[in-house]
Amino acid sequence: MVKKKVAKVLGFRYKALAGILIILAGGLVLLPKYEKHEGIKPEQLLSNVISSARYVSTDKLADILINQDPSYLLIDVRDEESYKKYSLPNAVNIPLAKLLDEDFEAYLNQNSYNVVLYSNDHFYADQAWILCNRLNYKNLNVLKGGINEWYETIINPPKPTEDMPAEAFELYTFRKAASMYFGVAYIQEFKVAPVVKKVVPKKVITVKKKKKAPAEGGC
Amino acid sequence: MGPLIPNGIIPHEWDSIIAILIGIVFGFVLEASGFSSSRKLAGLFYGYDFAVLKVFFTAAIVSLIGMYYMDYLGYVDITQMYVHPTYLWGAIIGGIIMGVGFVAGGFCPGTSLCAVAIGKIDAIVYVIGIMIGVFIFSELYFLFEPIYEGFFMGNITLIDSLGVNPYWFIFIFTLIAILSFVISDIIRKRNKKIFY
Repeated sequence: MVKKKVAKVLGFRYKALAGILIILAGGLVLLPKYEKHEGIKPEQLLSNVISSARYVSTDKLADILINQDPSYLLIDVRDEESYKKYSLPNAVNIPLAKLLDEDFEAYLNQNSYNVVLYSNDHFYADQAWILCNRLNYKNLNVLKGGINEWYETIINPPKPTEDMPAEAFELYTFRKAASMYFGVAYIQEFKVAPVVKKVVPKKVITVKKKKKAPAEGGC
Repeated sequence: MGPLIPNGIIPHEWDSIIAILIGIVFGFVLEASGFSSSRKLAGLFYGYDFAVLKVFFTAAIVSLIGMYYMDYLGYVDITQMYVHPTYLWGAIIGGIIMGVGFVAGGFCPGTSLCAVAIGKIDAIVYVIGIMIGVFIFSELYFLFEPIYEGFFMGNITLIDSLGVNPYWFIFIFTLIAILSFVISDIIRKRNKKIFY
């Protein structure tokens, strides 16, 4: 009797399973929808913002530019006017106001370049970085200090005073060489010292005259 | 939270170990449910056994529904899931070849290895055939390359290419699956029972 009942229930099992599947699938359709949070989570964004790993120093950037590292892409987030006045070599101009334009998305949302964002200081670049980071774009960096820092360290490096450590002098030499690469001329070094003609005293070669040896007595 | 590996909850170094474990379980289940018999698989074609259809369709639906519930509840981000890239003509031609091989040999590549493990001679021949096929393909790769790498459509899913609401798609897909189970049962009952 019990066996019969079990068999009756078990004979029903495929229909029951099919019913469960349909109910579950139907449940997905009927569930109230909610707008999903796009991009990365706020906690993740916060930890990214706190971390200073995004900053690239001007010295590093100068090194990259001089070595013509092809994996780096410079993006100037200032407005067009400032970009035309002065910018770093081979930079792309994406004004902050147009950051989310579709035309520029290919520059920012990619996996093949390390992007360095910069502005006059690093605040606009940071804002651009946060917006892009929120959209989960990868490989984005910010030039620490921006163009101002660039000008102060690379283009016009401060001369170290004598009481500074040797590293400061090395850094200065590097920066000076870098600034020469970027077209700064150090006129004082090109001043050619006036050529002083050395008066070469005439050498008097004294030739010893052979004295005629007096005939000596001999054989 | 999930998927676990892309989000770093399980480190990438575990990939191969997890793959081996899943492989062992998968092979065991295949063998235990009788899929290492070529008759079982050929039954799908001749209409006396629809276990393969039912198993794979059910697996697809269960994981599909489960994934979307987990996505809804926030345990898994469905957009981070790996989607296999589509090479349209490569997939069509490869599918036809595999289908013919499936019916002719009675194995799919996975079940053939299961059957080799339990010592079936036809499966051994089948696997040797696979290896010869692989050899021919790699030797003549330059001929096949335009098809193999062409017609690339990106990592798309049916939901992307049809542009439909995923939840409705799942519901309709489930209905189709259950309908196919019912129809396959009717066909099986009409056929003469074959013992194997």
